[in-house]
Amino acid sequence: MSTFSLQIITPEKIFFEGTVQRVIIRTTEGDVGILAKHEKYVAALPSGPVKITMEDGTERLAALSGGAVKVSPAQTAILANAVEWAEDIDVDWAKRSEQDALRRKENSKDQQELEYAEMKLKRALNRLRVSSMKD
Amino acid sequence: MAASNMKAIKRRIKSVESTMQITKAMELVSSSKLRKAKERSEQAVPFFNLLYQTMSEVASEAVGFHSVYTEEREEGAVLLIVMAGDRGLAGGFNLNVFRLADKRIRELNTMGREAVLMTVGKKSSEHYSKTTNRVLGTFDNIGETVTTYTALHMAQHIVHLFQQGHLSGVEIFFTNMVSPLSQEARQMQVIPVPNLERNPGVQSLTNYEPSPEAVFDSLIPQYLAGMLYCTIVDTYASEQAARRMAMENATDNAQEMIDDLSLKYNRARQASITQELTEIVSGANAQG
Repeated sequence: MSTFSLQIITPEKIFFEGTVQRVIIRTTEGDVGILAKHEKYVAALPSGPVKITMEDGTERLAALSGGAVKVSPAQTAILANAVEWAEDIDVDWAKRSEQDALRRKENSKDQQELEYAEMKLKRALNRLRVSSMKD
Repeated sequence: MAASNMKAIKRRIKSVESTMQITKAMELVSSSKLRKAKERSEQAVPFFNLLYQTMSEVASEAVGFHSVYTEEREEGAVLLIVMAGDRGLAGGFNLNVFRLADKRIRELNTMGREAVLMTVGKKSSEHYSKTTNRVLGTFDNIGETVTTYTALHMAQHIVHLFQQGHLSGVEIFFTNMVSPLSQEARQMQVIPVPNLERNPGVQSLTNYEPSPEAVFDSLIPQYLAGMLYCTIVDTYASEQAARRMAMENATDNAQEMIDDLSLKYNRARQASITQELTEIVSGANAQG
């Protein structure tokens, strides 16, 4: 199967760089699978799972917290606020974060606080979901 | 007389020595913090370049592209985000950035436009709490621990204000670390998004989902967060570099003072010994 080069970067580090067969990401419009020689494509990404099929056929799963994907002939790049491999997700922390977000949502005084709490909740739920998807 | 003089000098040497120990320690702490901060600010560069490149492409390739974040507006308040340190003892570090921001505030005022502020760092919030300008938000003690989420939270706050039509522009005042030996206060316009290459008429070959405008606008919080993150980290690194330099100078000065005082002390000691000898000899002579 033909492969292409994928890069996942966050402001804190280059999270992943390598040759892959396929990557499936969740965009605001739905799940999109990207294979080699995909057309030029740019989309916004909400929090969601990323599934990567490596060069050797193994699959890896990661949780992505908001960003964008950019496909160009030379390279596919995913810009993310944060990413974690499914096996690295701290479930306890994500659960606490979920509780905290729910509490914030309850106590939010204005639209802005509510939106912030909802985004935090989505990130926490995404982490928990991705973490449970791995097995 | 000589003995009391000697005692006083000795006491001063002791006090300068203990000051030097503190400045030396602060210098070392700043050095190690600087190293970490520099790493962080370098790691943010690839992300930011790619983000900016993507935004430029969206704006230039899409036909009839239009966004509230790129149009210049003549009226409305301008948000100035002023970043300084949380502590002093860093030479002119805090002052330089305030000078630059204050100049811009006066400039806006003469143009009849309001300048509203957001402050990053304790020194900055202290400085602007004394002025008449409206402060929309203060972010203290975040330089060392800033994460993408802190930056994103700030960015969303700003985007919100922008969407409600309160703002017409956003500018960041920060300190850029040119090298560990030189830091420079800078002003940077972030909204309207500057320097985007526009070549209308070129048919886009890229498929944007849902639309170029939607992708561009959804990238704005990320872009702002990226800008904020990079500048906060850069400012923090500059603060450490400036403090390291200031403390290095202080340590050098203290060493010089100690050398100076030691010389005085030795002279006084020599003088008192000579005097004692003269007294003994002249006493013996008188007896003999």
